Amino acid sequence: MEARLTAPPIPAAADAALTEDEKLEIENRFRRDIAAGRRRRLRRGLLLNLVGVLIFLAVWEALPRLVPGVNTQMFPPPSGVVMTLVGMMTDGSLAAHAWSSLKRVAAGFVIGSTAGILVGLLTGRLAMAQSLSDPVLHGLRSIPAIAFVPLAIVWFGLGETPKVALISWGTFFPVWISTFIGVRDVPKLYVQSALSLGASPLNIMFRVVLPAALPFVFAGLRHATAVAFVIVVAAELVGASSGLGYLISFSHLVFRIDMMFVGLLALGALGFLADAAFAALLQRVFPWYRSERNG
Amino acid sequence: MVPGVLNPRAGRTADAVPAGTPVTTAAGSVVVEGVSKLYASTDGEPSWALLNVSLDIRPGEFLCAIGPSGCGKTTLLNMIAGFTAPTRGSVLFDGRPIAGPGPDQGVVFQEYALFPWLTAQRNVEFGLQMRGVAKAERRERARASLDMVGLLGAADRYPFELSGGMRQRVAVARALVNHPRILLMDEPFAAVDALTRVTLQTELLRIWQEIGLTVFFITHNIEEAVFLGDRIVVMASRPGRIQRIVENPLPRPRDRGEGAFGALYAEVNEAFLRQGS
Repeated sequence: MEARLTAPPIPAAADAALTEDEKLEIENRFRRDIAAGRRRRLRRGLLLNLVGVLIFLAVWEALPRLVPGVNTQMFPPPSGVVMTLVGMMTDGSLAAHAWSSLKRVAAGFVIGSTAGILVGLLTGRLAMAQSLSDPVLHGLRSIPAIAFVPLAIVWFGLGETPKVALISWGTFFPVWISTFIGVRDVPKLYVQSALSLGASPLNIMFRVVLPAALPFVFAGLRHATAVAFVIVVAAELVGASSGLGYLISFSHLVFRIDMMFVGLLALGALGFLADAAFAALLQRVFPWYRSERNG
Repeated sequence: MVPGVLNPRAGRTADAVPAGTPVTTAAGSVVVEGVSKLYASTDGEPSWALLNVSLDIRPGEFLCAIGPSGCGKTTLLNMIAGFTAPTRGSVLFDGRPIAGPGPDQGVVFQEYALFPWLTAQRNVEFGLQMRGVAKAERRERARASLDMVGLLGAADRYPFELSGGMRQRVAVARALVNHPRILLMDEPFAAVDALTRVTLQTELLRIWQEIGLTVFFITHNIEEAVFLGDRIVVMASRPGRIQRIVENPLPRPRDRGEGAFGALYAEVNEAFLRQGS
């Protein structure tokens, strides 16, 4: 072991050829060095991530105490938020609120993105469908989805329906737009290949055009998850009796800013996890994608 | 029309062919008669991609087409493939007008047209799947086809994991697995390096001789045309037309270093250069 850590053995003469053993030894050392370097960089990166978070928390903890005129009631430091967080986790109220929001997001997301993919396929493939739907869809898309919150309450009441409908509405547009672009730009060769291999129009749509456009579709879906969280909060701020948006609005009424912070933290965590899950899924579903794009 | 009289393959279904058996058939003839095709060029002006082109492709023949860009050779191939229809004139495939693209006219494209989301094996299976061939048979036939191009070992790799030459081999296997009567190839080896290209040419000839199908092969490489073709169609551009058809009597296997090869090269080259004058 000791010998391997020193410099590689120098051949007796400058022109002496490396023996097989020496070659193997040098190759192995080289491989080990690369692996070690990679591990070192990874550890360093993670350490710096952690340091960044700690600095952030420290500044937050210190700010309300050091800056004159800041009330810890109004701006609770992390220590106070953690106490509330632990309390709400043990009594299960946080999980209940998070679960209500998550259910609405999931239902709305599934409905909205399914519709978005189907309409995207249709408008991307058929020029007639595109011309027919373009002005209306683009017009509707320009209206911010949360502007429909009051209308949704008037139409669907205070139950689950208005929330799910709003999220479906909001997620539809980004999925539709990116599916449309992906479908429109599918290389013609793929379609011609499929035609010459005997594929029917329906098969071309779902077995060639859709897979070819999937990376775009996925980008739209990822965007749509973020949109879904924005809308669920907006919908829950008014006319809800559960959910993280409701928790925040309720905390406002009872002046529990610490509870409000817990709601914000939970939203951030859920959004982050949803996005990370998407990125991981992308790697699994499209092993072919990244390399294909790079050449 | 009585099926089976004009078309010897009409009575046979794809399922009746045992897996992996090469089909030897005399069918696969194309008659191009007085074909013209008008296109809108990039500045919006109409231009003739093909003007009054007539050509017979004989069953079992290896026909090469060569010409400068804009001579309409790809347009001609697209017509036989069924992707485009002529403005004037007719194209008959085994005595019938071409209704559209399909597995009878196998196409190998210039660029890599493999589906990047499918493995080599699944790419080859695609055409069979489209026609509802059962899974077990599909797999067996795809493997036989990959074996024919020498890529059985790479069956589970994605296109991005294959070299350019390997991808084009998969593309050939994908077209051949459907037992086409004609194989249309549009500069299939243009993007691979010169050494690989020579190997691919030799392999293609071997497969062509084994199966006995008709091949229509577009190239911009005179040497490739002389090495491969039974006949060489030299085309000219503006408007796209046939300049000359050169018979290639050289016995196979052909030797590029031979004097007769060089003489034929010179003949084709001269026809190629004379166009436009």
